[in-house]
Amino acid sequence: MNQETEKTLAFFGRMTANLTHEFKNILAIIQESAGLMEDIMAISPLARDKYQERFNNSMNTIKNQLQRGMEMASRFNRFAHTPDHNSAELELGETMVHFCTLTERFARLKHITLQADSQKGQEIKITTNPLLLYMVLFYSLDACLSVLPAQCEIRLISAKKDENAAVKIACTGKQAPSPEQFFTGLRQSNAWGELENTAAQLNAELKCNTDDLCFYLILK
Amino acid sequence: MAGEVNGKTTIRILLVDDEEEFVTTLSERMEMRGFDASVAFDGQKAMEALKTRVPDVMVLDLRMPGIDGMEVLERVKKTNPEAQVIILTGHGSYKDEEQARRLGAFDYLQKPVGVDTLVKSIQKAYQQKIESAYAAEPSDESQSPQNRH
Repeated sequence: MNQETEKTLAFFGRMTANLTHEFKNILAIIQESAGLMEDIMAISPLARDKYQERFNNSMNTIKNQLQRGMEMASRFNRFAHTPDHNSAELELGETMVHFCTLTERFARLKHITLQADSQKGQEIKITTNPLLLYMVLFYSLDACLSVLPAQCEIRLISAKKDENAAVKIACTGKQAPSPEQFFTGLRQSNAWGELENTAAQLNAELKCNTDDLCFYLILK
Repeated sequence: MAGEVNGKTTIRILLVDDEEEFVTTLSERMEMRGFDASVAFDGQKAMEALKTRVPDVMVLDLRMPGIDGMEVLERVKKTNPEAQVIILTGHGSYKDEEQARRLGAFDYLQKPVGVDTLVKSIQKAYQQKIESAYAAEPSDESQSPQNRH
């Protein structure tokens, strides 16, 4: 197995492990809520009246978690199909929302907020390699998470830069490092090296704004 | 320490998980089964809870924001070795299970788990705690664990 294949598999491994963890949490909540309802039904009718509100809450929890599970399943399915074609047309803003939903948990574990945004709601269509695009976004996120402290925010903004489609990765936070510390940290992280390599394969340019905590992935 | 309700021993459990709906619902179900259950939504809060009330058994998730479950396990086993810890996680790696057991976890369960399986594991963990406490005490043949609890 060559090094690139190993890296791709490692990327898929981390993503799928993260998502299956989320599925297990969803199933566990549904199971406990259904179980609680069963427990309530098993006790006397008088007590059942007493627990009516809790019963209704459990029903709502089950419905909400089913909704969450179905959304994750369809996003997971879409992600699983990213290696199918070397080139596909994507809407960049929608892709950012999709990516952020899939990876939000990585940020949440570090008490960092991850959000997708678009410039003035404009639609940006690109034709690119979907898998490589997800990989560069993932390494960008991974590098930022290795540098930022808790309570910061990472925004992935789909934008146009010099007539090219671009993703702006903007970080903010009261405890955030200075731009100099931020970029030094990014460049020292393992993810940054992977990001540079993968961006080159995607023919994307990395452009850093040294005045603030933001950098661009310009998709050519 | 286990408490008593109407002369009956109640096992004190602390459920630690960042999935709030999961752990709150599980806690209610455990209360319905006679356990004295409390919850913590992350590792930091679990460590704080231990300062005021040491549970007989802790049911602990591994992947949590801030202090993760493995670190909580390590700290608990240093500060309150008598507390038994059951890992309940959606993360199923063999490496994690091996590490958790090496750090002193009593059991390693995968989410979602049947409530009866969890109850049995908690009861066994509690029994283990009683036996360990008895074994650690100076020899006094007039007392058996059953007499004291």
